[in-house]
Amino acid sequence: MADSLAYFLMSWTDLSLLLLTAVGTFAGIYIGAIPGLSVTMAVSILISFTFAWDVNDALALMVGVFCGGVYGGSRTAILLNIPGAPSAVATAFDGYPLAQRGEAGQAIGLSTVMSVIGGLLGVLVLASTAPVLSEFALQFAPRDYFLIAVLGLMLVGSLAAESLSRGIFAAALGAIIGLVGMDPVTAEPRFTMGNIQLLGGIHYVVVMIGLFGVAEAFFQLHQLNVKPVRQNVDKIIPSLHLVLKFLPLSIRTSLIGVIVGALPGTGGDIAALFAYDHAKRSVKKPSRPFGQGAYEGLVAPESANNAAVGGAFVPMLTLGMPGDAVTAIMIGALVIHGLNPGPMLMVTSPHIFWFVVGALVLANIFLLIFGLMGIKIFAKVVELPKGILIPLILVLCVVGSYSLNSSMTEVYWMLGFGIVGYFLKIFGFQTGPVILGVILGPLMDTTYRQAMSSVGDDSGAFLLALVTNPLSLILSVAVVLLLLSNTPLKAMLARRKSR
Amino acid sequence: MSSHTKLQPGERAFNLLLLLFSLGVLYEAYRISGAGFESINSPGAFPVGLSVLLIVSMLVIIAGQFRKEKPNTRGALDEARQFLHEHFPLPIVIFSALAIGYLFLLEPLGFVVATPIFLYVAMVYLRHGRFVSSAIIAAVSIAIIYALFKLLFQVYLP
Repeated sequence: MADSLAYFLMSWTDLSLLLLTAVGTFAGIYIGAIPGLSVTMAVSILISFTFAWDVNDALALMVGVFCGGVYGGSRTAILLNIPGAPSAVATAFDGYPLAQRGEAGQAIGLSTVMSVIGGLLGVLVLASTAPVLSEFALQFAPRDYFLIAVLGLMLVGSLAAESLSRGIFAAALGAIIGLVGMDPVTAEPRFTMGNIQLLGGIHYVVVMIGLFGVAEAFFQLHQLNVKPVRQNVDKIIPSLHLVLKFLPLSIRTSLIGVIVGALPGTGGDIAALFAYDHAKRSVKKPSRPFGQGAYEGLVAPESANNAAVGGAFVPMLTLGMPGDAVTAIMIGALVIHGLNPGPMLMVTSPHIFWFVVGALVLANIFLLIFGLMGIKIFAKVVELPKGILIPLILVLCVVGSYSLNSSMTEVYWMLGFGIVGYFLKIFGFQTGPVILGVILGPLMDTTYRQAMSSVGDDSGAFLLALVTNPLSLILSVAVVLLLLSNTPLKAMLARRKSR
Repeated sequence: MSSHTKLQPGERAFNLLLLLFSLGVLYEAYRISGAGFESINSPGAFPVGLSVLLIVSMLVIIAGQFRKEKPNTRGALDEARQFLHEHFPLPIVIFSALAIGYLFLLEPLGFVVATPIFLYVAMVYLRHGRFVSSAIIAAVSIAIIYALFKLLFQVYLP
C-alpha cells in the first residue's frame, strides 16, 4: 500500500516529472484544439524522441498530452464548429450554438470544469476497478460490439432534429462512406469504383472537417455583413451552483465514458456521442432545447470523453490491450522501454500502474489550471470579422486534411464533403448522423461479420446467441427499448398515461 | 433550413437526386463479390442492407413532400432561379471559385506561396477592399501557421 502511494505521488513530488506533466497537458490542449494536429500524432512523435528517456519521464509527458488533447478538441468545436479532435464532435452540437449566442467564454469554462470532473472520475474508476473492469470488457464478444454499434446508431433519433427519416438517411450515408475501401475480412474492394486511392478508405476526420468546418464556412458567407456576436467574457469560471446543478449528469456520463473507453476499439468519440444521447433522453427540462445551446449538451460529451481516457488505460495496463489509438501507441512506448504490457504488468511492474494513475490525476489538475487560462483571448476568435475568419477556417481545414496522409486526395475529399454538407444543411439534413454513421458503420460491419463467422454463418444461431448470453440479452433489450422510444409508440403511451 | 410545412425551391429535385444516388449505391453494393452477395456474411451483405435503408428512408422523405405546400415559383426554371438566388449568392460563388483555385494551385506553387495569395485575395474580396490590413493579416497568418505546423510539430504541408 505504501509502495503504491509512493508510486502514485512520484509525478507530484519529482520536479522534472511535475514539469513534464504540466508541459504535456499544456501542449496537449493546443494540439487538440488545432484541427490537423491529433493526440495520436503527437504521442507518436513523442515516442521518437523520448525512447532514450527514463520511462517515467516519457509516460508523464504522454499522459499529459493525452489528457490535454482530448479536452482541447472542444475549443475549436465551440468557437468555429470544427471539432479539433474526433472526441469533440458531440461538443459542437450545443457548443457552437452557445458561441453564436455570445456565450463562448462560459461554454469553454464549463467544458473545462466538466472535463476535469470526467477525467478524475475516469481515473478513480481506473484505480479502483481496473482488474474487474478489464475482465468485464473481455466478456464482450463480437456480437456484443455489434449490439453496441446498433445502440450507437439509435442516437440518430437524438441527432436527427425534426425528421427521423432524414436522420436515418444521413446515418446510412455516413455508414456507406465508412465502408469505402477494402473489406476487413476478405480485402475485397467496396465502393472504390476501381480507384486505387480509395482502397485505403476515406478517413473520417476528412468527413468531419468537410461536413462541419467547410460547410459552416460556406454558410457563414450568407451572413457576411452581419456583425459578429459580441462574446460575454465576464463570467468564465462557472459558479459552484452551476457545477452542482450539472454534477449528476456529469457523473452519469462519466461512467458511460469510462465503460465505453475501456472497451478495446472504442474511444472518446463514441463515448461522447453516447453521453450526448443519454443527456438528450434523460434531461427533461434542459437549459435550452438541445442543438440550440443547451449546457447539458456540452456537459455530457465533455465529461464522457475525458472519462474515456481513464477507461482506455484499463485494458492497456491490465491486459496489454489498447483501449484506443493513443493507448496502442503507448503500449509501443512501454515495449521500447523494456516493459511487457499484459496481464503480468500488474505483477512484475505494479509501479507503472500507480505511476500512470498519479500522472493522470496530476494532468487533470493542470488541465483545470491551463484550461481556464486564456479563455478570454480564445473567445475573441469568434469576434473576428467573417471576411478574415472564413478564409482562415478554409486554410486550417486544408492543413488538417492534408496532414492525415500527406496527400492532396484528402484535401479534395474534404472540399467535396464541405459542398455535400452545405447542400444537406440547406435541405434540413443534419450532419451529425453522417459522422455517427462514418464512425459506427465500419464497427458494425466488422463485428457483424466476426459474429456471424463465429456461429458458422448460421443466422438462427446468431439470433439465439443474442438472447441466450446474459450480456448480449441486456444489450439486445436496450436496443429494443431504444428502438421503441424512437417510434410513435412512446408518445402514445405517454398520452395514455397523462389521461 | 427545411420548413415543416413548405417545400424549398429545389428540394424535390435534390431528393430525387438523392434517390438516384441511393439506387446507384445499391447497384454498387450488389456488384461487390462479383454479382450480388452470396451469403448473409459476404462483403456485400451489409452494404446492400445499408443501401436498402438509404432508398427506403428517401422514399419516406419523398412521400412526405406531398403533405407539404409547394414553393411559390412559376415553373422549373423559376424554381432553379430562386434556388440559386437563395443559396448561391455572389460571395459564395466567388469564394468557392477562389477555394477551388487555391486547392489546384497548392501543389504547383506550394503551400507557402499559394496560401498567402489565397488569404489576401479572399480577404480583400470579402472585406470589400482593405488592401493593406489584409496583406498584413495574410502575412502574419501564414507565418504563424508555418511556424506552428512545419517548425514546431513537423507536419507535412502541401
